[in-house]
Amino acid sequence: MAEQDRDSGIYVGYLPTPARDKRFLRVLIPVLLWLGAITTGLVAWRMQDPGTGVWNISNEQTWEGVLRADPYPLLEIDGAGETEIVLLVEMGKFGPERARAFDGRRVEVTGFELERDGRRIFELVPEDRAISALSDAPETQTLVSAQLGAVTLRGEIMDSKCFLGAMKPGEGQGHRACAILCIRGGIPPMLVTRDASGNASYYLLVGTDGAGLAPDALDRIGEPAEISGELTRRGDLMMLMIDPGSVRGI
Amino acid sequence: MSVNYRWVQWNRHKRVYDATAVGAIALFIGAFVIVGSVVYPGERALSGPILLLRAFGVTALLLLHIVLAIGPLARLDRRFLPLLYNRRHLGVMLFFVALGHAALVFLFYGGFGNRNPIMAVLAPDRALSWPSGLPYEKFGFVALMILFAMAATSHDFWLKNLTPRVWKSLHMLVYVAYALLIAHVVFGAMQSERSVLYPVLLSAGVIGLGSLHLLAGLREVSRPRNAEAQLGVELAGWIDAGRTDAIEDGRATVVCPGSGERIAVFRDGDAFSAVSNVCAHQGGPLGEGAIVDGCITCPWHGYQYRAADGQSPPPYTEKIPTYEVRIAGERVYVNPSANAPGTPVEPARLEGKGDG
Repeated sequence: MAEQDRDSGIYVGYLPTPARDKRFLRVLIPVLLWLGAITTGLVAWRMQDPGTGVWNISNEQTWEGVLRADPYPLLEIDGAGETEIVLLVEMGKFGPERARAFDGRRVEVTGFELERDGRRIFELVPEDRAISALSDAPETQTLVSAQLGAVTLRGEIMDSKCFLGAMKPGEGQGHRACAILCIRGGIPPMLVTRDASGNASYYLLVGTDGAGLAPDALDRIGEPAEISGELTRRGDLMMLMIDPGSVRGI
Repeated sequence: MSVNYRWVQWNRHKRVYDATAVGAIALFIGAFVIVGSVVYPGERALSGPILLLRAFGVTALLLLHIVLAIGPLARLDRRFLPLLYNRRHLGVMLFFVALGHAALVFLFYGGFGNRNPIMAVLAPDRALSWPSGLPYEKFGFVALMILFAMAATSHDFWLKNLTPRVWKSLHMLVYVAYALLIAHVVFGAMQSERSVLYPVLLSAGVIGLGSLHLLAGLREVSRPRNAEAQLGVELAGWIDAGRTDAIEDGRATVVCPGSGERIAVFRDGDAFSAVSNVCAHQGGPLGEGAIVDGCITCPWHGYQYRAADGQSPPPYTEKIPTYEVRIAGERVYVNPSANAPGTPVEPARLEGKGDG
């Protein structure tokens, strides 16, 4: 169809746009662009606070402490006050099975720190240098756990790595598939509860015998759940000893 | 109009349209990312991929609302027709934005673990609670597959080879995709978000789109069914299309027979011709078009037909059904029995300027 100078009266894509339509489009397009940008901006503005978790992925560090394989591979770090318990994880969504060989030994651990609300977790570098033993024999002294009694808590079961900073946010419905993948891969599971002001408390989930839960033991990951169990404290870490079958959805 | 197939038959309007659409997408994604970064800076910042996948998801849903609004808006007000002209490109862009959202979800939430990333997201261990147990990830994935099928078959090659009826049915699945995406958002993201803004915005979108479609539909339904003419045996069964002077020169009136497709009765000077109201290209409403360069021209994509025989002028090959027309007194009548597409019919002419 040949292009024409005259106004065809209706809009035809391959002909000059009628003046009436041009005038209309000059108003409509900017209005649409503004409305669209305002809409997406509003949605972004009202997002839930993802929390203060930080993943120092560009800052490789080394820490010293006693490595324990149970209930999950972790590092006991002596400080001025109570012993700090720091969980160990691998890169990606895996628990550090290789750390079990160092059970009870004083070690130097190399990796990256994740931290939220003062709670830390270490991600090991993938190389063998991630853990090096500083002593030949296991430490004879073990940390005593304090039994705090039976409790029933409501919260969400999460993987500790994402919640403490690997994912922002590392909780909620959108993150559920990831949390399941992480826990099934050996990342230690936590119950996170919140008080009326939204402040979070963390409880490492372990079996009724105090040993780590099997990666596929828990259901209702990433869902609102109610859990009953025996509360214990080891160093600065609260642990909830539970029967995985007793987790109830809310 | 097409003779042979090209990837895209570019013209200036399509270039401007696509450039505007790409700019709009960049603007919408950029607005989300910038506001999200300003609201939660520093140690409260969202993970980059999560911020981006949310920006893509929100932009895709917004674009889908725009794409779905264009159709009824163009029926209600012709000034929206330029938005409809290249809507298919907007649909393809929408698919790619949605694909970007899905790819980031699979990579970030489903990746880095001991399972296939896609299966880790689509088939996680069963959630057990209501409503978080609903498989909102699958809703989104099926919607993405529909958008893919539409984007992949958006070219006129597929329109022709699938036949317009099958093609149209396939592309009507966009409403299924829309419903799935609303469910995807309601049972997904909105389960974790607490702001009242989200249900308000989503409701506004659903109600707004529904209202537009309802208004456009009501307009069609309220078009009076044209009565059969009472003009003796000769015109028995014909339909009264109204006064001849009620049809503007170069335009049409649309006649609704008791059954069958609507008929567009065009006036070109003193000549009156009738053709199917349905464009052979994408089913556009020919009766809302005009006569341009002597040809009936579809308002959607400018496909053209000669009024005298319903054929596109050579070298084009599209054909539409024609109808016999008569003028009696000051009124124009149409025989609702359709001729085969492309059948020549002598136009009816105003009295004194040739018989009808």
